[in-house]
Amino acid sequence: MTLRLYRYLQGFILILTAIFLLQKILSGNLDWYIHQRFMPLTVLSVIVLLVIGVIVFRSGRSAGHHEHHDHDDEHHHKHHISRWGLVMALLPLLVGVLIPPKPLTSDAITGKGFSSAAPVASGDSVVQFGQASDERNILDWHRLFSSPDALGAVLGQSANVIGFVYHDPRLKEGQFLVSRFTVICCAADGFAIGMVVNWPESASLPADQWIKVKGVVQSIQLGDQKWPLIEATSVEPIQIPDQPYLFP
Amino acid sequence: MTSSVQTQSKSRQWVIIKVVAILLVIVTSQLPILEILLQLLGRAPVFATVFLGIFIEAVPFLLLGTLGSGFVEVFIDQERIQRLIPRNTLLGVLVGSMLGIIFPVCECGVVPLTRRLFSKGLPAAAGIAFLLAAPVVNPIAILSTAAAFGWGWMLVGRIGLSMLIAVATAMIFSVVKSPADVLLPSQWLHREAIPLPLHTPVRSLREKLRHMAVIAADEFYEMGRFLILGAALAAAMQALIPQQALLEVGRGPVTSVLVMLALAVILSICSTVDAFVVLGFVSIFSPGAILAFLIFGPMVDIKTTLMYFSVLNKRSVVYLILFPLLMSLLAGLLINLLVA
Repeated sequence: MTLRLYRYLQGFILILTAIFLLQKILSGNLDWYIHQRFMPLTVLSVIVLLVIGVIVFRSGRSAGHHEHHDHDDEHHHKHHISRWGLVMALLPLLVGVLIPPKPLTSDAITGKGFSSAAPVASGDSVVQFGQASDERNILDWHRLFSSPDALGAVLGQSANVIGFVYHDPRLKEGQFLVSRFTVICCAADGFAIGMVVNWPESASLPADQWIKVKGVVQSIQLGDQKWPLIEATSVEPIQIPDQPYLFP
Repeated sequence: MTSSVQTQSKSRQWVIIKVVAILLVIVTSQLPILEILLQLLGRAPVFATVFLGIFIEAVPFLLLGTLGSGFVEVFIDQERIQRLIPRNTLLGVLVGSMLGIIFPVCECGVVPLTRRLFSKGLPAAAGIAFLLAAPVVNPIAILSTAAAFGWGWMLVGRIGLSMLIAVATAMIFSVVKSPADVLLPSQWLHREAIPLPLHTPVRSLREKLRHMAVIAADEFYEMGRFLILGAALAAAMQALIPQQALLEVGRGPVTSVLVMLALAVILSICSTVDAFVVLGFVSIFSPGAILAFLIFGPMVDIKTTLMYFSVLNKRSVVYLILFPLLMSLLAGLLINLLVA
């Protein structure tokens, strides 16, 4: 490969990567991958990638002609042509294009684990009694359940949560888990949390279907942990929410 | 002489390849291949999401490291580095372990930057101290740790122990005379062989910035490939190996440290944000385990290991992994002993 071609390809892939990231930002799917607080860094990356990409692409034009004088590239041109670098840099783009984007759901639980041991209770999280019980999400309920004094007070309150359907093998017939993934930094640290739902027609609900569950909160022993349980009065299917994850 | 040695090692290679191939055939013929393939296919979306998650989060930090490297190359001359680092090895190592305050890079950015600083005359031992300590001893990581844990003993412990381990490991490298002895031969940019002043005319700022961008691009590809490979491996492990099992194994004062060390490697999270991630584990794992995660993760994880192997020779990489591992383990266990 000539240095010139290499520079063109480098610049081209950098610009493609910028476009790929930009597309993720614009489509609103970026927070399927990383915590929303890192969005500004990704925006910045798009700009930097574009700037570097354009500069490198343009330097390709001069690379062929003035190799003798162009000191910049004198060292690079023997050592630094990295074909593997180009190939590997295409991998995220290929994965992004070929595998349909999907937030973490049921099939991720098998690998990543499902648990009340998931990191839900951050060190100094304040248990919010004040919050109306209807406004609590699955994470809020889990936090309440992780503090023993709160447990007694919340039983019998009404719940209104959204999540996806997960059929946990540990559950009895007529039960399923309404679940969300919590993400602290990026999808790599995503852990599932959930509430057991008592609902006679559980079996008819397809896994991963997003639903809204209303009912009364109770608790259930699952393994060695006390889990929140909803005696459901209604379970209705909904569209996938804008933000599928919960950010503790 | 050389050719006979070469043919010998070549024929040995062939034997090894044949043995491995035969073993592979035997193993795979015993497995339900189709089922496994289908299962893998089913996990593909999980793999994609986790892989792109790590990649997208790492890109800004990788860019910071490569731009930093470009900046050092273009704007900082050798003399300035040599003036900055004391001649005394221990003092040099101490300064090296604190260079992250000037170059705020995480573990993805630190490898290209260290290599660049080596070529600018940074002594081997000081460079190793920088390599290990900089991902923690830098303003971004310190602020994020403080944001997660407050200005308390966890922050002090993280910075102090990271520096201690970096300095101790670097002192082992003080027997080495030149960075050439820790780098792979291909990675040693023979700077002193080229009389720089003659070759580098004073250039305009515009030219210098252009050069900086070209270097950044080169290193984005060179280092990025290992970052991407590492992210893919970490994502594959996450998609295939149940972490649940890991979380449930480790509650004791010893096993919890081991589990968190393993998680630090598997999760491969950037050192500037790992404090937020580990915060979630505080209620589950012992304090020693949390601290061990915070110390070891920035020094060794899947992607840094690959990057180390791409730049440093094998023996150095083994030292760079083993010593921090043992010392982080020891630190975690001691903390648990003291707390209990």
